[in-house]
Amino acid sequence: MNIVACVKQVPDTEAQIKVKPDGSGIDEGGIKWVMNPYDEFGVEEALKMKEKFGGDVTIVCLGPARAMETIRTALAMGADKGIHINDPALENADAYTTASALAAAIKGVPYDVILCGQRAIDDDSGQVGSVLAELLGIPQVTVVTKVDVDGQKVKVVRPIEGAQLVIESSLPAVVTVTKGLNEPRYASLPGIMKAKKKPVDVKDAAALGISADAKAKVGKFIPPPARPPGKIICADDTPEGKAAEVAKLLREEAKVI
Amino acid sequence: MEHIPFSVGNEGRQVFWNTEHFELWLFLFTFVALGIFAYGIYRRWQMWAAMGKPEIRWDDTKERLKLLWRDGFLQVKTFKDPYPGIMHGLIFFGFVVLIFGAAFDATEFHITEPFGVAFLRGWFYLIFSFTMDLFGLAVLIGVLMALHRRYISRPDRLSYRGESDSTADDAIALLLLLGIIVTGFVIESLRIHVTRPSWEVWSFAGYALSKAFAGVPAETAKAMHAWTWWIHTFIVLGFIAYIPYSRLLHMITVPANHFMQNRKPVGTIEPIRDFENAESFGVGQLEEFTWKQIFDADACTKCGRCQDGCPAYLTGKPLSPKKLTQDLKTYWLEKAPAAVMAKKLADEPARWPYLGKKWPILNTVDFILDFLLAKTKGVPAGAPAEKALVGEAIELHELWACTNCMYCMENCSASIEHVPKIIAMRQYKVLTEADFAPELQLTYRNMENNSNPWGVGSHLRGDWAKDLGIKTLAEDPNVEYLFYVGCSGSFDDRGKKVSVAFAKILKEAGVSFGILGAEESCCGDSAMRGGNEYLYQTLAQANIEVMNGYGVKKIITTCPHGYNALKKDYPHFGGNYEVYHHTEILADLIAKGRIKLKKSMEGVFTYHDSCFLGRYNNIYTQPRTVLGAVPGMKLVEMERNLAKSFCCGAGGARMWMEEEGQRINNTRAAQAIEVKADVIAVGCPFCLTMMSDGIKDNKKDEEMKSLDIAEIVWKSMDLEEEPEPVDVCAAPAE
Repeated sequence: MNIVACVKQVPDTEAQIKVKPDGSGIDEGGIKWVMNPYDEFGVEEALKMKEKFGGDVTIVCLGPARAMETIRTALAMGADKGIHINDPALENADAYTTASALAAAIKGVPYDVILCGQRAIDDDSGQVGSVLAELLGIPQVTVVTKVDVDGQKVKVVRPIEGAQLVIESSLPAVVTVTKGLNEPRYASLPGIMKAKKKPVDVKDAAALGISADAKAKVGKFIPPPARPPGKIICADDTPEGKAAEVAKLLREEAKVI
Repeated sequence: MEHIPFSVGNEGRQVFWNTEHFELWLFLFTFVALGIFAYGIYRRWQMWAAMGKPEIRWDDTKERLKLLWRDGFLQVKTFKDPYPGIMHGLIFFGFVVLIFGAAFDATEFHITEPFGVAFLRGWFYLIFSFTMDLFGLAVLIGVLMALHRRYISRPDRLSYRGESDSTADDAIALLLLLGIIVTGFVIESLRIHVTRPSWEVWSFAGYALSKAFAGVPAETAKAMHAWTWWIHTFIVLGFIAYIPYSRLLHMITVPANHFMQNRKPVGTIEPIRDFENAESFGVGQLEEFTWKQIFDADACTKCGRCQDGCPAYLTGKPLSPKKLTQDLKTYWLEKAPAAVMAKKLADEPARWPYLGKKWPILNTVDFILDFLLAKTKGVPAGAPAEKALVGEAIELHELWACTNCMYCMENCSASIEHVPKIIAMRQYKVLTEADFAPELQLTYRNMENNSNPWGVGSHLRGDWAKDLGIKTLAEDPNVEYLFYVGCSGSFDDRGKKVSVAFAKILKEAGVSFGILGAEESCCGDSAMRGGNEYLYQTLAQANIEVMNGYGVKKIITTCPHGYNALKKDYPHFGGNYEVYHHTEILADLIAKGRIKLKKSMEGVFTYHDSCFLGRYNNIYTQPRTVLGAVPGMKLVEMERNLAKSFCCGAGGARMWMEEEGQRINNTRAAQAIEVKADVIAVGCPFCLTMMSDGIKDNKKDEEMKSLDIAEIVWKSMDLEEEPEPVDVCAAPAE
């Protein structure tokens, strides 16, 4: 069984995000880049499938030169090879362009399952996996917490409010995964060293034969307003009184209930 | 009573009295016993040499001979524990004197007397007799103490969780010793009974015992004497022959281990140098230990000193340093024969001391004995053990329970080094197999991504100092000291208060210092001790690069873990600094009068020794001196203190791991409650957290607290109004 795992390099969850003064993007100085945590679940699941069924795990990643680090991280965990789509023209790629680049790269490798994180934690768009499936013309099951592959089929669990759906799909298919699926492994040191020698193909838009034009363009980055200070509920000293006060504030001031 | 002159000049005794005809037989039997002894040592030597990586532990022989004298002969480490120390001392020094005595006898009889010189005569003989009896009695008392300890009082340390680890071997060794002394005295008293020289009153014990034979006819006594002489002889020779095959071998392995003891700073771990090409890291198989690390296990006498203060063992974890060492020994004994065989076959040409093919007769003897012993044991000789070292011979729960507190190594009377072995096996689990606790994986990821175990954004590292007017080295590199704050002092709310208090003291005293701010990295101690040497070296190198870039020479830390790493481990990677712990600096500032402690501190204080300060770095007095300088301070000691202090439970990366069962920090806090302390003073942020939590879990947080020494000093300097607790519901001030 051949598995493709798509990964994205994103700023560390704790990184300090500063918008550039001209609003054209974020200031990348001092940012620690990591693999998108949702994609990490995908890589881990891919490695588990490989352990069970054999085959190859290919990592596909769109990003600038620094994204190679993230590919190497996945290779250190145990993936076999990588495709790095690196083209300055794709720097401002939207979900559609990203998916079309990934689709073009994936067409060149044999696959039975394609795993993606349900979304990336930086732009939170959550569309790439779905668009990718459409472009490849294969089924998709999204935001899943359990994946069972059985020969020609994949059975997944997708949590919904108050219940969970069990969905079965034929293969090949795109599966987008979320937290709860697994615990991504810690790379062993021999794994890290071997990863340095594993093959990674670097391709640009021309090589993939895709247009780098984004359908959606970001107008401007604006930092969120500073969070107003918290409020301490003093009115009544009893838990019941405080609860009533909280409910009142949520309804009248925050207008959320 | 008849007057006995001290010496008339002709006192003495006939060597081989009543046993003149046995001399030749004695030599024959002695020869056989020594042969069995030598063969046993030869076989053991083969086993010591068969496995493990090379390691040189005989450099600087002169210094090592001093250590041998101190720990091997003077038994300094053994005496640290009174009862077993005295017990062992009586037996050891008793036998040293008895052997010297026997040597005197033999020298006179075989060497000087044939030339007409008899020196064991007159007053010298009397003193000699007295001394021999005295030390004979000493051995007797020592052996009786040992029997009492092992079979009657039975302290826990001679067991594993109440399951006694006494074997037949222990009993045989003690009974042989008892037999030697008792028969020795019986022989002497029978001789005195028959020959009755008045001066033998100097052989006071034998003389007293001879009264027991009053009325026994001389001929009967002589026959009894001859029989006892033979029994005595056979026990002595049996004892000698038994040494290499029993716990008595410690007479050789323990002094050897003292001679070869670690001479590097306490707790230093040899860094892994080749990450690129190695396929395996740390120790996953026995032969990946050095031969000395394996030899350690053979030197263990299972005395249990290590277990007595092991925080893991005493709180019910599966780990006992004694059990770990004994399990390694058992595992080695299973694997060694095959390794010896393999080595013999590989050694071409054979070289000393493996003897190999040069010694066909000896090899034939080895082969025949192996064959015969294999029949009795039911295991074919040379069959390798199937068990894995890590995970089977040594269980993972044992491996990960260690806090690296160094109690075992500090208190081992055989100079065994447990902690580096544990770290080496952890390295195998973490680096080679990447198979370890998920919470520790998270810690390591946090350290990788944000250079601190909590995973707080690394850009926030210097924020604790924002309002204090402290410059970073980037702003002003021309300062005397770098205050290396560390992760707790930078990110942990409780730890930040300590950093603030200490920084204010430094400013008040006019000490020139700066911090690194966001350029500082985690020291890496938890990574190293948790087996992640790769991560540790990455972090250490990041720090060293920054520090060397600013030309840092002197460093102060408030965390003993950083202190230890920077001081002892960073030199491996080109980071050479003068490193001070803040308690050293505080003691110095107080001594020089640069800070004044004015405000009286009420209540009972107890100081909890941090392992990485005390046992690792011998800093016991400075924190106590500082506390002693605080007016009004009533300082009491907990029962376990100084070198026998009880760990807080956070060392060796345990800070970041789940703890099963009874918690170590609660146990330690309870010890402070026992001495009715109001404040547990500490010099370590890990201890601070652990003691604070321990106080809470013991439900004492209303009346007790834990404070860092810097906080106590800053309060006592009385320069700052203690802020009133803010009433968040009070009406806003006009």
